[in-house]
Amino acid sequence: MARDLDVNMTEMAPAAAVTGNSDISLPMPEPLAAPKVIARKVNVYYSGVQALFDVDLDILEHQVTALIGPSGCGKSTFLRCINRMNDVIDGCVTEGDIQLDGRNILAPGEDVVQLRQKVGMVFQKPNPFPKSIYENIAYGPKIHGLANDKAELDEIVEVSLERAGLWEEVKDRLNQPGTGLSGGQQQRLCIARAIAVTPDVVLMDEPCSALDPIASAKVEELIDELREKFTIVIVTHSMQQAARVSQQTAFFHLGKLVEVDQTEKMFTNPTDERTHGYITGRFG
Amino acid sequence: MTDVTGRAAPRRELKKRSTSDANVRKRRARERRFQAYGVAALGSAIAMLVFLMVTIVGNGYSAFFQHEVALNVDINRDRLNLGPSPDEDALARASYRLVVRDALKAEFDTVSGRRELRTLYGFVSNGADFAVRDAVLANPEIVGTTQQIWIKTSDDIDTLLKGQMSDVARWQPQSAASVTGTTGTVTITAGGQAFATVLEQVKAHLQDVADELAVRQARLESIVEDQKAAVAELTRSNSNPEEAARLVGDIAANEAAAKQLSERIAGLRQRAAAAAGSEVLVADLPSYLVKINGGLVKITEVSAGEAKGEALLPLQRGTPAPQGSWEIVSYLTPEADRRVKDMEIAWITKLQAEDRIEERFNIAFFQNGDSREPEIAGIWGAVVGSFFTLVTTLLISFPIGVLAAVYLEEFAPRNRWTDLIEVNINNLAAVPSIVFGLLGLAVFLNFFGMPRSAPLVGGIVLALMTLPTIIIASRAALKSVPPSIRQAALGMGASRLQTIAHHVLPLAMPGILTGTIIGMAQALGETAPLLMIGMVAFIVDIPGGFTDPATVMPVQIYLWADSPERAFVAKTSAAIMVLLAFLIVMNAIAVVLRKRFENRW
Repeated sequence: MARDLDVNMTEMAPAAAVTGNSDISLPMPEPLAAPKVIARKVNVYYSGVQALFDVDLDILEHQVTALIGPSGCGKSTFLRCINRMNDVIDGCVTEGDIQLDGRNILAPGEDVVQLRQKVGMVFQKPNPFPKSIYENIAYGPKIHGLANDKAELDEIVEVSLERAGLWEEVKDRLNQPGTGLSGGQQQRLCIARAIAVTPDVVLMDEPCSALDPIASAKVEELIDELREKFTIVIVTHSMQQAARVSQQTAFFHLGKLVEVDQTEKMFTNPTDERTHGYITGRFG
Repeated sequence: MTDVTGRAAPRRELKKRSTSDANVRKRRARERRFQAYGVAALGSAIAMLVFLMVTIVGNGYSAFFQHEVALNVDINRDRLNLGPSPDEDALARASYRLVVRDALKAEFDTVSGRRELRTLYGFVSNGADFAVRDAVLANPEIVGTTQQIWIKTSDDIDTLLKGQMSDVARWQPQSAASVTGTTGTVTITAGGQAFATVLEQVKAHLQDVADELAVRQARLESIVEDQKAAVAELTRSNSNPEEAARLVGDIAANEAAAKQLSERIAGLRQRAAAAAGSEVLVADLPSYLVKINGGLVKITEVSAGEAKGEALLPLQRGTPAPQGSWEIVSYLTPEADRRVKDMEIAWITKLQAEDRIEERFNIAFFQNGDSREPEIAGIWGAVVGSFFTLVTTLLISFPIGVLAAVYLEEFAPRNRWTDLIEVNINNLAAVPSIVFGLLGLAVFLNFFGMPRSAPLVGGIVLALMTLPTIIIASRAALKSVPPSIRQAALGMGASRLQTIAHHVLPLAMPGILTGTIIGMAQALGETAPLLMIGMVAFIVDIPGGFTDPATVMPVQIYLWADSPERAFVAKTSAAIMVLLAFLIVMNAIAVVLRKRFENRW
């Protein structure tokens, strides 16, 4: 479903694309906010095969950054660099420099567990733990020692579920397994679980691709709300979704970051021919 | 993207074809045949299983019961060497053998002579003393009184009573009988060819014996033929005169033996063929006992209408016995081939008439350790030994196996070394178990000097044997946990250890436990490695700990299967039933665990 490219984009038909060579130095968009994450010269190799080439990208605080591009272009790889989830893949090597609040998170001494508390993640397929709804949310705060007592933990659970728009639906069955919820509810549960540890950044890897349009709409709405408190990076295959929820869009192609700009500009007037081709559905 | 090339090639079309009916029929026949093969395979497997179970249960159920005899035991202070007020310790230490023997002697006061008395004392189990002791300890006040105490019969008596020693038949002749004499030699006369059946059976038996002997004679004659040929060969080549001379001597002896045999056969056949007349019953012919007038007569000479015999139990009256009041009991196995003689059968008959022999549930089978006496031997020692052994196995192999699996699956880098380890673990699972026994013997007994026959050592050896099974099953279980769960936990900021301990292991646990229980069941049924470390010893005591000498259930089965006493045949099957029951319970637990926890995500 996510791969369905809607060609009906005439109202944001791009102006003539600027032709440029492939290694254009990217003109950074006018910062709307301070950059939260600054990636410079990020290269990723899977067992010696290079998957990302010198990616430079700024992710702005309290904004939604959408990463788009055809399958296998490296957008998910880049996303997973930000909380170093690539570390668990055998033979994966990440080079370069990613600053989170001025700290290089790719530095060898960086504590990955602490990093992941600051950079949460929501996956493509809803993956609640096979435990109760309450346990799902409380797990993160527990292992990070964020709650001093049961009352505080209860509060975290309640607020997280509220923020994820799930509280009203599940408040009476907190002790039932999270896996018993519907797909959309499960995904919102995963979002609630991610924000329960109060991260700075939330990464979302195609969070709506396994959901039906109504559930997707709810999640998109939620993403928009969460922007006030968190910085969000979302990988999506749906052009409309990127257009709807994000303020900044980055287009990846063949492991390279082709173009990054304000979403509105990307969809109306992209600089690069390839971006133009992709968003109008000529390839991808 | 079809007509990219503009080349004009002649278009070729596929001719419309449809499958023929024959083809369809063939395909269907093939599928039906395949299903039939499957059903046949399943059917034969089930048939074999049923046959196995029926055989085992049929052989073994009788071991759960044991004949007991009620003896009137005079618990005599003097015979027990007890003072006027013995304490419990003295009561426990006293020897009750004499009072048991006194009771038997009192019961059958006509028995005299050393050999007969020994047979009489062998009527009850060697454990009879303990039965009396237990009765006295339970109620010390019975000392000095005469009590009826139920005592196990010896295994031979029990075997006979269960019909496993000889085919027994009993029938009531359709006529009245008159007797002359009540003790010593008794003659029974009955009309209507009352003893014709006996005569027929004896003649048939003679015929059988003659046929058996004829086979032996034929074999001897063929040996003689061969020897004659060999002698002819030797004399022709003239190579080995001593050998030829020796053979000639052998031929003479064999021919003489064959001649003797043929004479015997002729005699037997003549007796068997003779239309009427009488037969003398000796110890190598079946026994026929006549229950008449409250006594028991063993037939020694029989004709169609009259039987002469010896009164094993004196007749209570010499009056004629009406039809239906007397019966003939036959024991087809000749007395000479039987461990229980006719005299003992007479004792049994007397006690049975008084309702003093009963088949009771053999609770001792589940309480005692091993014994040379089948009626006392029990499985409990082996069960306890198996328990201690399995506990050791579990305590060692479960944590080591699971930790090894977790490390290999979750932490170890994939490289040549881990590949090598993986291959070796898989190979270890296929190593013959006796090799582990040799290892245990060499390392644990000889090098570390651990105790022989101990469950501790057995458990360690079995743990080594079970480890590969547990590791392989645990790795498979860990592998089957969906990676999304790991990602979710890692994405939450759980460390690897937390991810595994909180999420992966709980989900993999049913699979791990299933593998462990299957490994344990395998260890429970294992014999070979334990033979090497001395757990095959004859151990009477029930082990009290991990270093006590012990044996385990499969070894106990092996030991009993190896014992000569007839009663151990049933014990063996009964022990197999107990072992199977344990295995079934363990596998049922595995199934329940799997069912309860599977598909939780």
